[in-house]
Amino acid sequence: MLAIHFWLSGAAEAKIYIDITSPSAKKLPIAIYDLQGPYGKEISEIIRDDLTFTGLFVYIDKASYIEDPAQAYNPGNWRPLGIEAVVKGSVGVTKELTVTLNLYDTFEIRPILSKQYQAEKELIRQMAHNIANDIYTALTNAPGIFRTKIAFVAEDDGEKGIYLMDWDGQRVRKLGLKGTLVLSPHWSSDGSKIFYSSERGRQWGLYLLDFLRMSEKRVFVSRGTNMAGDFFPQGDRVMFSSSKDGTPDLFILSLKDSSLKKLTSSYGIEVSPSVSPDGDYITFVSDRGGSPQLYLMRSDGSDTRRVTFEGSYNTSPSWSPKGDRIVFSCRRGKNQICMVKPDGSELVQLTEQGNNEDPSFSPDGRYITFTSDREGKQGVYIMRANGEAQRRISPKGLRSSGPRWSPN
Amino acid sequence: MKEIMAKALRMNKVFIVLAVAVILASFMLLTGCQKKAVKTEAPPPAVETKPEEIAKPKEPEKITEQKVEAVASKDVVAPHEESKEDMFADILFDYDKYDVKDSYKDEMMKVSAYMTKNSSATLSIEGHCDERGTNEYNLALGDRRAKAVKDYLVSLGVPSARIETISYGEERPVCAEQSEDCWTKNRRAHIVILTKAGK
Repeated sequence: MLAIHFWLSGAAEAKIYIDITSPSAKKLPIAIYDLQGPYGKEISEIIRDDLTFTGLFVYIDKASYIEDPAQAYNPGNWRPLGIEAVVKGSVGVTKELTVTLNLYDTFEIRPILSKQYQAEKELIRQMAHNIANDIYTALTNAPGIFRTKIAFVAEDDGEKGIYLMDWDGQRVRKLGLKGTLVLSPHWSSDGSKIFYSSERGRQWGLYLLDFLRMSEKRVFVSRGTNMAGDFFPQGDRVMFSSSKDGTPDLFILSLKDSSLKKLTSSYGIEVSPSVSPDGDYITFVSDRGGSPQLYLMRSDGSDTRRVTFEGSYNTSPSWSPKGDRIVFSCRRGKNQICMVKPDGSELVQLTEQGNNEDPSFSPDGRYITFTSDREGKQGVYIMRANGEAQRRISPKGLRSSGPRWSPN
Repeated sequence: MKEIMAKALRMNKVFIVLAVAVILASFMLLTGCQKKAVKTEAPPPAVETKPEEIAKPKEPEKITEQKVEAVASKDVVAPHEESKEDMFADILFDYDKYDVKDSYKDEMMKVSAYMTKNSSATLSIEGHCDERGTNEYNLALGDRRAKAVKDYLVSLGVPSARIETISYGEERPVCAEQSEDCWTKNRRAHIVILTKAGK
């Protein structure tokens, strides 16, 4: 009996309401009150939008709530409606906003999450995302991504520049980093830096932006085309492709001593290197077999093998955070987003409309951001990693491309 | 794939059954193991919440954000010296290819002759692509096209040091329609003569 009780309380600690690893997990019906007080509705709407985008929750409309928001929570008011989780709370305003929040499991009386949050008014969205993260974690036992950002490239007065926006497309801001051409920025694994390439005055330079210092530094420049690839996980080395020796080949650049290591040398094109999350492998694009295809090698340049065989144009690969999938652009008439295991098996196509390229994963591996021209002008899109819920998040009038999801 | 889905479904069922069992079991514990309490729509547990279990308000979590300011790029290089364009015809390439076709032999000879006559001139060869490819690969392809033209000229005796190459990928099309005709014109190497300023 004691053993059973011990086991049960242990299980209660780690109770998972939604098994997010299961592709067919049932959606969890959740009620989200407008928090009482000023800004309450706005905060609750952000929380609701965050949670519903995951595809793991069914939001039950306010019209069916029996319980008056001011009344004490009573599970008996909810279970008959089939609702399994309830979010209640209030907002107080002084100089700052203070949210008191309770998340209830309708099988229990006590809240499973009870917490206060405080923020300056201009951080209202960040606060709401923070709350959504906590709710998400309480119900799935996994970290939420609702405070992550997406870095991307957009056109600005005839030049290209790097921009940042929240993962939901809100709060678009210019970073001021420009060039005639600018390519997709790559994040360091701690989120403190981005690495990107920019063509300025007929020269391709590789640049590093440090978000803590807010300063840009050129780390490499040469003749030919230099294109930034991924950071290695430790953040001390980066990959790039360069045609400085004639044809586009792959290099590792040490950010400590600026030393270079050349990993490929062929007559053809080697481009778009992406480093596996453990740092052991690199996937890249090569035309050595007659058409652009994905290849995989160890990060010392050995053991190269081809990953894709289907189709005649497979480019811009990027790893999933677990290292179990590679997402890339595949030509199927137009360019689409495809996903494959690193051994070349289980190829799936995730998009169908327009041209789609530059895919990359969210840090939890559940979502993918990419560029699409399906509505005319190129824009930044997001979708779930199974292809569901595709939507543009960049502003309609802004020609945007090359999105990369921040790691945190 | 189907098999995996089916397996996942089965797993999920097992999980739900387990979860229900756990919930029911803990419920029975709470209500003192009532034997009849195995109903799906059980009434809410009659246990009063003990006052000390209502979490005392901890310090609120303070929401902050790393401030992001705009950074001006410093090394934006001054525009290049005067240049002459359209002296030579564009070298066109087949789709996804970067070999200079034999039909351009005469044009290549013309460029080579010009370079011999104008010994201070340098060339910039720009490689371009049609819009159908993806960004980075197109830049590499444009790079390779410019390099192929450079190699051809070097083979005709033009010193390598007097030829620069640059790729613009799909960024600077000469023709904006989505047609094979347009794409053909955009898959090109464009030759620009760079004349030293003041000479």
